[in-house]
Amino acid sequence: MTAWVVEGVESHLDEFRLGPVDIALEPGRAVAVLGTSGSGKTTLLRTLAGFVRADGGRIVRDGTDITEWMPEERNLGYVPQGLGLFVHRTVERNVRFPLEVRGRTDAARRTNELLERFHLSSLRHRYPARLSGGELQRVAIARALAADPELIIWDEPWQALDVQARHELGQVLQELRETDRIPILVVTHDPGLAFSLADSFLILHGGQVRWRGDATALLDHPIDRFTARFVGFENVFDRAELEATASTPLAAWLLERSFGEGIAFARPMIARTPGALRVEWEGAVQSARPTPEGVAVTLKVGGLTVAVRLEVPWSGALPAAGQRLAFSVDPKSLHPLGLPMVRPGTESS
Amino acid sequence: MAEGTGVPNRGARASRRRFRSGPYWLALQLVLSGSLILLFVLPIVALFTYAPFSRIVAAAGNSAVRESIWFTFYASGLTVLAAVLLAVPLGYVLARHRFLGRSVVEAVVALPVAVPHLLVGLGLFLLFVPGTPLYTWSNALGFTVYDRIWGVVLVMVFVSAPYTVLASDLSFRAVDDRVLESARSLGASPANVFLLVSLPLALRGIVAGLLLTWARAVSEIGGILIIAYVVYPGGPYTGPTTSVISVYIYNLFSGGDLADAAAVSSFFLLVAFAIFLVVRLGERSGWLPWRRGELAP
Repeated sequence: MTAWVVEGVESHLDEFRLGPVDIALEPGRAVAVLGTSGSGKTTLLRTLAGFVRADGGRIVRDGTDITEWMPEERNLGYVPQGLGLFVHRTVERNVRFPLEVRGRTDAARRTNELLERFHLSSLRHRYPARLSGGELQRVAIARALAADPELIIWDEPWQALDVQARHELGQVLQELRETDRIPILVVTHDPGLAFSLADSFLILHGGQVRWRGDATALLDHPIDRFTARFVGFENVFDRAELEATASTPLAAWLLERSFGEGIAFARPMIARTPGALRVEWEGAVQSARPTPEGVAVTLKVGGLTVAVRLEVPWSGALPAAGQRLAFSVDPKSLHPLGLPMVRPGTESS
Repeated sequence: MAEGTGVPNRGARASRRRFRSGPYWLALQLVLSGSLILLFVLPIVALFTYAPFSRIVAAAGNSAVRESIWFTFYASGLTVLAAVLLAVPLGYVLARHRFLGRSVVEAVVALPVAVPHLLVGLGLFLLFVPGTPLYTWSNALGFTVYDRIWGVVLVMVFVSAPYTVLASDLSFRAVDDRVLESARSLGASPANVFLLVSLPLALRGIVAGLLLTWARAVSEIGGILIIAYVVYPGGPYTGPTTSVISVYIYNLFSGGDLADAAAVSSFFLLVAFAIFLVVRLGERSGWLPWRRGELAP
């Protein structure tokens, strides 16, 4: 199995500058690249796949520098956004394509094997236009695997999939990582699936690496508002916002505990027994809606809007607007935003 | 399906179901589109009603008429071949490459569609006038232009190839870059990507362009009147002396033989209509390959 090292790779596209980016990809490991639109995620993948010229740094596959290699020589399974399936070819001929262009004599056997594995045998004569989202994803992954790639690169694998198909695709990728031991690099907007798949994360912002590390580190130290929201913190406050509402006791309390760019915390539970909690606040209900994890409530606390949740199980009526509720915030659950930036080329994990 | 997947939505067929529209709106659509269809159909009806049926049958049996139609299809077939060899690659270059002077090239390609075709004949006449180097060289190579099939093909290519260039350009442009990139990444060389992915995906549009090229070539008269009013055997044409069907009909008309002109026109219309019908039915049945994947299960 192959190990990949991306060392200080840079690309300059017109005004946009990507990198330098460093990534280590070992067999059986998966890296998720996160970032807002325009942060350079897709450019990074296309640079690794050989479609964008690397203006600096190098890409090394098992000790061989492949930075200047043509895309077709790199032997990676690159799945672009939208999958890039061939609409004029049947499922079978899509999967067979990489074997066909390599003139592999075992093309028929290998194609059958993959169609079996991804439950596509009964769909082999269908064209992509007649497949569901989940089926299309399975065709894309079977095709990417056909010629035994040494790395899977996937841009937004979970785009436009329903919950069930997302779950299945998550399992397929997990299997590739654990059983096939192929290293995986994914770009995604979906935190749940990123956390279920990736061992380490890379956050890009404006073409620069903002942060790099594993899941625990990411949850402990969300670097900025985007990251905090991405990993699921529902209450994220910028320093400026807290300063502007400092007359509210909760804002002042949070401000004291935040440094850098602001502070984040998960949705706190409503206290049932007043006074039993260490730090207690009160707010007026703005809205309330039932969710599988309990009733999600938005409270107005002075100048701040805070998301809280009623305890599970909840069987009573939804709280009315304007009703006052008490809640607590565990000081240990607070995560200051804005740790120092990772300097290019230094490992943080 | 997400935007830009290149895969048509599964529900597209269902969503194509007609909306209920108001009666006035429907009437307006019927009147406007009906008027145009009438404009297409009425002159044809006039032709068929003017020529007695027996005359049409006689035209079909006339060997000179058949020779002229056959020659027209032969020359227009060579024109389509030239369009495949020259116009499709130019369309590909325009779609896939950015280069200095591209707008000028695009304007030059569009020009033959806009200029009066007598002008094309005149231009070619001046180019190949006896005494010019082109006249000497082309004759030495057996490529005689005046009153030979090559002259007809030259005019036809000039006036009709732009349709294939434009259609190829648009069709290659419509192929999603990401599809081409995944093909490359899956191990295909640039030549393989072109042959196995770009070309099949653009084929439907290219074929539509070639059909227009063929139709435009068949209907050409202006340039041919100057370059090859009469066609003598020579080059790849070894049949009797003839002329393209448009010139043939024009001759009948200018000679005052209106009924014969209408009869030959009607017969030619039937042949051309049959050809278009066969192509359309072939497409719909999936027998012709360029719409596979859209229609098949």
